[in-house]
Amino acid sequence: MSWIRERLLPALAVALAAGLLASAPGCHEPLQAPEAAAHPDDLTPRRGGVLHLATIDDIRSLDPAAVLGGTEAQLDPLIYAGLVDIAADGSLAPDLAESWDVSADGLVYRFVLRRGARFHDDSEVTAADVKRSLERALHPSTPDPYASFYESLAGYADYVAGKAPHLAGVEITGPYEVTFRLDHPDATFPKLLALLPARLVCPGAGERYDESFVACGAGPFKMTPGGWERGRQLTLVRHEGYFRPGLPYLDGMNMIFSMPALTQRFKLESGALDVVSELSGPDATGFRADARWASSRAVEPFRQVWGEAMNVETPPFDNVEVRRAVAAALDREQWAKLKPGLLRPTGQLLPPTIEGFRADLPGQVYDPAAARAHMVKAGLAGGWPKPIPYLIVKQDINELTAQLLAEELAPLGLHLDIRLASYPTFMARTHARGHAAISHQGWQQDYPDASDFFEPLFSRAAISDTDSNNMSFFVDDRLETLMTRAHREISPEVRRALYDEAGSIVVDRAPWAFAFDVSSLRVWQPYVRGLRSHAQYQYPIATVWLDRDPREGKLALGFGREERAGFGLTSGSGSAR
Amino acid sequence: MIRRLVRRLGSALLVLWAVATLTFVIADLLPSDPARMIAGPTARAADVARIRAQIGADRPLAVRYGLYLRHLVHVTEPAAAAAANKTEHADCASFGPLHLDLGHSYTQRKPVVAVLADRAPRSLLLAVGAVTVQLFVGLLAGLLAAFRPRSWLDRTTIAATVVGTSVPTYLIGLTLQYALGHRLHLLPLDGFGRTDGEHLVSLILPALTLGIFGAAYYARLVRDDLLAAMRQDFVRTARAKGASRLRTLLHHALRTTLVPVLTVVGLELGALVGGAVVVETLFRWPGIGALAVSSLLDHDGPLILGITLTTSACIVMSNLVVDAMYVLLDPRMRRAS
Repeated sequence: MSWIRERLLPALAVALAAGLLASAPGCHEPLQAPEAAAHPDDLTPRRGGVLHLATIDDIRSLDPAAVLGGTEAQLDPLIYAGLVDIAADGSLAPDLAESWDVSADGLVYRFVLRRGARFHDDSEVTAADVKRSLERALHPSTPDPYASFYESLAGYADYVAGKAPHLAGVEITGPYEVTFRLDHPDATFPKLLALLPARLVCPGAGERYDESFVACGAGPFKMTPGGWERGRQLTLVRHEGYFRPGLPYLDGMNMIFSMPALTQRFKLESGALDVVSELSGPDATGFRADARWASSRAVEPFRQVWGEAMNVETPPFDNVEVRRAVAAALDREQWAKLKPGLLRPTGQLLPPTIEGFRADLPGQVYDPAAARAHMVKAGLAGGWPKPIPYLIVKQDINELTAQLLAEELAPLGLHLDIRLASYPTFMARTHARGHAAISHQGWQQDYPDASDFFEPLFSRAAISDTDSNNMSFFVDDRLETLMTRAHREISPEVRRALYDEAGSIVVDRAPWAFAFDVSSLRVWQPYVRGLRSHAQYQYPIATVWLDRDPREGKLALGFGREERAGFGLTSGSGSAR
Repeated sequence: MIRRLVRRLGSALLVLWAVATLTFVIADLLPSDPARMIAGPTARAADVARIRAQIGADRPLAVRYGLYLRHLVHVTEPAAAAAANKTEHADCASFGPLHLDLGHSYTQRKPVVAVLADRAPRSLLLAVGAVTVQLFVGLLAGLLAAFRPRSWLDRTTIAATVVGTSVPTYLIGLTLQYALGHRLHLLPLDGFGRTDGEHLVSLILPALTLGIFGAAYYARLVRDDLLAAMRQDFVRTARAKGASRLRTLLHHALRTTLVPVLTVVGLELGALVGGAVVVETLFRWPGIGALAVSSLLDHDGPLILGITLTTSACIVMSNLVVDAMYVLLDPRMRRAS
């Protein structure tokens, strides 16, 4: 009997506890019902309330001159306005600029600013601020990862080399008029003015980048004192002097950082968060299957493409037939099942949201027989004799796609040796020459333009021994000509035709085997109104309003309540029109 | 005794130097590029190269190591520091003329000493909270079990300690988060709060998680040591002189048991101040552990070095304190000294 007491009972206790624990954290728990809008039939926006958001990411900087990308690039447009902005459909829209014109040769852009627009510190926005802000971002001492995007500006090279005190290509031609002169025509230039380095910062930011800078711009929201607690949260409040009358509707927004996906789900259900878009796979499936959430969920495209980058300098991928074989061996429909409804199989470079995407382009298609034929043409009917190292980062579905790829290439005699790496190691290896024969890669747009996909991934200029964005080291003279012409071509129709041909070349020459583009599921409480999909921004909240009855607003225990109190509000949102 | 402590202090400094050097070299040998990590995955080669030059990552390893050691601890008269270029001591923490410079974090974009000064008190708070729970629950359970060995109380304690030491902290944390935060709404799911009261409320879940995990170990340790001590001559003598079982347990046996407990507390406290990686990440507790995860993922060399040095210093210091406490607790150690 003693062994029962001393061995069996503790073992049973462990088994029981493990069973309880494994089933405890909400894995199979039904979702709570959403909180209905107070006035669902009334489309008139209401002012007031604080929108509560969260992300698993953290941000490093809110200075538009030194923004890395990711979440911070999504938040900065709430704080900073530019001359122009990207509209919801991806087109260019006026922002601080009232109007602009371009010379016939495409070398001179003249912008006229709105009068009376004000920064968060109440100073007026003038043409001098445009020049100062851009020079501050592009100065050689500023760690701006996007500086070279503006190389077409006259005098750029001398300025970033420290040989000139000012950017010669930016001229203040009036208190509210600024003129840009380019060295060569650049069709992307107007869109570049919507990017963060060209966003205007308050005069208090000075002329040079300084890490102690406190975010201050002319966007719809402004920082409160101590509003950004690094690693924890960001609090923004309405900029009452925003140049678009009546906007934003919200009193403010609160973004919590480093919050795991499961916690986000819990907080959405409890009312502590209003919108989430980083749900785990099972939770995303749960929300998609729940009819009560049908009208307050949407699939949001990430505007990125994923595929297998093959290094054309490394055997066996120096043989175009082997690359074509890989492109034909990918069963993209099978891959898409890894995240049902959130992965869209694709055989071409551009995602559907980018102008230049061709729905009629067959692209690379799954055809196992053709794949074998390509291997025969390559003289490798028996396959490649050695295992091929395949580096992946252990995150998301990478390990699963790696296994699928290995299974699909094995019948061709291409055997992958899958190796896991940390993200920094992966980045260092795959961006350097001669280190990776094939790797799983993704590319997300910096701005919605075909050039932002073609040029970094497949141009000669993007090749470098240590920092190559052209990770397949692919060069094609015809493609090079097409990309250069399209970059300088002002006519949208001509550009489209040029990128059509460019798209066909990368599909045929297969430096990448394109696989899928990705979306996320965004879920919000129904009282969040006016939330729309946007071609560039994940948080287009300037036109969002809250339609929530304060008496019914659920309170989450924790700091949602205190944060609301920090805005001088009671629970839920203020709903005064 | 003083000579012994000075000797220990010297070896502690040697350990810290070795840790700093090893970490510096290993961080450099890793196949990664801090400039690329700052610039992001889509930055062009020209922008990455410019950033590499800005942070000095284009210099040879020996030069960077020499500069690091030279700056790490240096002496500067306050007047001279004020007169020097403002940026020269921008990354320093000053203790009078003594300056500590752990470098500049690429990812946090501020001096490493400032980042650690911000985070360390929060990790210390969590460590003290966790160790308090561990000691209270562990000592109590161990005493109860030892008071009536082989009773149902003892067996229940053993079973509970097996469970406590077998289940990983993240599972304990998730369960507590689910039950106390999500279902019962008794505590916030995660975070740190803004006021002192909120900090304390936020502390409960992570401290309980670490506490339950560690308490099981203390309970086993205390029970086994107490039972062994109860068989010692001095305890039998006390019993023969008429002391009750409870009195001998508390007044005689427990004192000897405290020495190994103290050793574990010292090591545990040092390690926890250096960061409880999983629990801090799970509960978004803004301490050194969560920072260690992000700095490792980003390969932020100066921050990795700073965290490693801080963690090592905490463990080394707690060892020194434990050494000193031995002498106070155990008369035999005093005689040996």
